[in-house]
Amino acid sequence: MHPSRAGLIAFGDAEAGSTGRRRIAGHLSRCEKCRSELRRIQSEKHQLSFDASACATVDPQPGLAWLLSSMASWRDGRSGGLGTEIKSRARTQIELYLGSPAISLVERRPGGPPEELLANTGLVLDALLGPEAADAVRDDVLNGLECAAMEPR
Amino acid sequence: MMRKADYEGIESAPRWILLFLAAYLAAGMVAVYLWNAAGNIFSIQGGTGSTSALPVTGMAAVDLWLCLVVLRSFPAGSPLRGAWLLMALAAGLRVVSGVMGSLAGSEAPAVAAAGGPVQLALLAAGLFRLLGVLRGFGFWRRPAVADWAVCGVAVLFTLCRLAELAAAWLAGSPIRVESWVAVAGLPILCVLVLEARLLRQSVVSIGNGLIARVWVALECGILLTGACELALWVVPHYSRTLPLAMFQALIRLPAAAAFALAPAYQVAAQRRATKPASVPTGDLATGTPALAE
Repeated sequence: MHPSRAGLIAFGDAEAGSTGRRRIAGHLSRCEKCRSELRRIQSEKHQLSFDASACATVDPQPGLAWLLSSMASWRDGRSGGLGTEIKSRARTQIELYLGSPAISLVERRPGGPPEELLANTGLVLDALLGPEAADAVRDDVLNGLECAAMEPR
Repeated sequence: MMRKADYEGIESAPRWILLFLAAYLAAGMVAVYLWNAAGNIFSIQGGTGSTSALPVTGMAAVDLWLCLVVLRSFPAGSPLRGAWLLMALAAGLRVVSGVMGSLAGSEAPAVAAAGGPVQLALLAAGLFRLLGVLRGFGFWRRPAVADWAVCGVAVLFTLCRLAELAAAWLAGSPIRVESWVAVAGLPILCVLVLEARLLRQSVVSIGNGLIARVWVALECGILLTGACELALWVVPHYSRTLPLAMFQALIRLPAAAAFALAPAYQVAAQRRATKPASVPTGDLATGTPALAE
């Protein structure tokens, strides 16, 4: 009687008991069919372990690069939104205290960074409204954005 | 609809000034109308003119107080501290001149000079500094033809006054020192008118925000002062029966109110910045949070 496939796998993995190992070994010495089946099982096992190691040892850089680029784009997108928000709030304050035409005069460079617009707004309001009021306006612009602004870039 | 909160605190000063001005002008107009309708049978001139000068002096005092409040918000080294200091001094001289001249009845030339050319010169110096700061930020435009035209009217008026005074002096008429002092302030007024028009150009270049109202008020104050001088020179030539003291108060009060509005708007803008608009607690349906309690 031929041993089962499970028994052959256990024999190949040296997991069969001593009685079973002796029985299967005796059978394999006599049966070419079971010897070929065992060779096939071991070949499949080797193939499987090779595929697994191949997956594990594949160049991780593309995946890591993809992950890092995704994180960077998420972060950039978030900081871009933060900059837009700061600019929008600064423009609102300029419009409130000076007027709409003053926005372009204070902004100087429309595509400039939000820090520049915030600094210019503070400078103008500091001179025209006084330091205390200018600080309050600056706080108003940054109100609720402090946590996001302090995130490491 | 105005809320009660709109009339509370120092930030509501512009509203109170405008309300007082409107009420005073309405009452004055009604009095003049009744006087005219009654056929000038009773006098509304007042005994010494001090009653009529009281609101103008009072408004100057409000102006001075608000200027001092503004001045306190600009520490030493601030670009506009000098400008506000000069404007506060000008307001102070208007108060002193009003109290000493109109209310106490002093006719000293120094008092007339303090309320005339000296305070105008201080105001002109203050505006010069303000314009310098505005120019530094790029809030600046070259004067237009209309600006030169307004200045031309002021210069023409000054020349007419000088010519009139010189003609009287050459004719041997006695001329009071106050007249010379009053005329001495007119060239400064011409400079002020030019500065007011330049301020106007700055307002046009930046828009009509809260700070721009300060400059508009200053411009109105200067132009109304010029208009007062013109009206007080022209009207007596055409009407001898008009109650001049009352007319003078009616015409000078808007200028004084405009000058007081400038620091009032500045204070309102500063308070708006330091105390952002909040939902009044009385409108809330919910009670005080337990944690706050």
